[in-house]
Amino acid sequence: MSPLSTAARPERGPIPAEAGIGLRFPHHQAVADTRPAVAWLEVHTENYLGGGTPLRYLDAIRRDYPVSCHGVGLSLGSADGLDRAHLARLGRAIERLEPALVSEHLSWSVVSGHYLADLLPLPMTEEVLDIVCRHVDETQSFLHRRILVENPSSYLRYRHSVIPEWEFLAAVAGRTGCGILCDVNNIYVSAQNHGWDASAYLAALPPAAIGEIHLAGHSVRRLDNGATLRIDDHGSRVVPEVWALYAEALERFGPVPTLIEWDTNIPTLDVLVDEAHRAATLIAGAARKTDHADAA
Amino acid sequence: MPTLHELQDAVARSLMARDDGAAASIVADGIDAAARLNVYRNTMIASLTTALRLSYPTVHRLVGAAFFESAAQIFIAAHPPQGACLDDYDPGFVDFLAEFAPAASIPYLAGVARLDWAVSRALHAPDADALDPARLAALDAAEQRHLRFVPHPSMSLVRADHPVDAIWRAVLAQDDAAMAAIDLGAGPVRLLVRRRENGPEVKRLDPAAWCFTALLCAGHPLQDAIDAASGVDVPSLLAAHLINGVFTTFAAGAPGAHRMEIAT
Repeated sequence: MSPLSTAARPERGPIPAEAGIGLRFPHHQAVADTRPAVAWLEVHTENYLGGGTPLRYLDAIRRDYPVSCHGVGLSLGSADGLDRAHLARLGRAIERLEPALVSEHLSWSVVSGHYLADLLPLPMTEEVLDIVCRHVDETQSFLHRRILVENPSSYLRYRHSVIPEWEFLAAVAGRTGCGILCDVNNIYVSAQNHGWDASAYLAALPPAAIGEIHLAGHSVRRLDNGATLRIDDHGSRVVPEVWALYAEALERFGPVPTLIEWDTNIPTLDVLVDEAHRAATLIAGAARKTDHADAA
Repeated sequence: MPTLHELQDAVARSLMARDDGAAASIVADGIDAAARLNVYRNTMIASLTTALRLSYPTVHRLVGAAFFESAAQIFIAAHPPQGACLDDYDPGFVDFLAEFAPAASIPYLAGVARLDWAVSRALHAPDADALDPARLAALDAAEQRHLRFVPHPSMSLVRADHPVDAIWRAVLAQDDAAMAAIDLGAGPVRLLVRRRENGPEVKRLDPAAWCFTALLCAGHPLQDAIDAASGVDVPSLLAAHLINGVFTTFAAGAPGAHRMEIAT
């Protein structure tokens, strides 16, 4: 049991329970020039492990916005153990960037020294739960801070999985004291792909552990046999069904920092800002309800 | 039931070598395991191809997107990245291209790839302060002879059999006239590559100056580099390197003396 698990609430810190956007290289200049009206920004930690121009932009931008560092390469679910060299590089970047939140994924990407450049799904077993918890503990000890762990989108399940993903994620949070980054689009995509009940997934997550929400667009791919898979490609606007699920999440969790992610076919900055404003409106509605409940 | 390591190894073999060992572990309700794994394989190949395209932009323009993608796909299957920092993926692509038979009609391609990689390394290298020349003035003559420089992390030296610097400029500027004017038989070039404030610098050095600089960057004592360099105007070349921030610090003292001076 990690000493961090005694914390009652995740450290939302200076990331406000408002809407932010994922900052990608094509928007560096526009964000630096126009300072869009979003509450915070999130970057992929792996994009800032070196120096030079990207870091200079981010240093200038983060003077005006709280920043969250979202990792995509730590591979918390690797049977071989964490890549300590990668963890050390992340640690140096995090020390340098002073993010208010640090997050990673419930997935794996590395085996036998090979990095497979995708967030691959894990078998949901007791063996894997132990491994993931050990690696979350190791990461939190190394970074001297709590991290958030994000639920993945997935396109396959393993025959020997015995724990539902929502229970697995809640158990990781319970055992390690980490927070949960609840990706509402991922829940919707996985639920559609695997026949899960997305609302039941949300209901199984411990509200106190939810430190952040992700929203993004996805696409629908029709396969040769006529079946469809929803693909989490972050390449379009959030779909109506995901907005509806997001409203449900806010109802359960109260106002939570929410991020719009967009990674392929990246549009102009104003489109992301527009999506963030839509999320902000829903958060404000949830905040009014929370205030009302508190006053009652 | 496979252990997690066994399963992950099987999935990796499926993604890289299309081995179907992982299929037995995957639920195939309505969509078979191969189609499900294919989604991940496509993402992996797309991500790594993008990483290579960003590291080798001139090669990409020279051979075209279709050729680049098919070469990248072959390379990726044989050389998956060793770590999760894709800026570091992958110097092996230069050697791969040099041996890649379909690219043999472009004899300068591997040289261009080597320059692309050096520029990419320069752009992603960590930040580091330049050596303050005043620190050298504080050394006595004997100490100066034995000092060994530490190059800036963005700095590297490239030698190529063709004028790849001119090709690099013309291709990235999409300047067909400049490209047509290049004399491919002009002989080898020796280049210094580093990051400047607003982008990369690719500068030609004459063979003696390049050799002298290479010795210093490899950590040889200044006097050894001077002794090996004939025809180099050492004071002005060294002054230019110092002004340009080519070095970040130095170690002083005779080899074995271990009197290190490290800039902070």
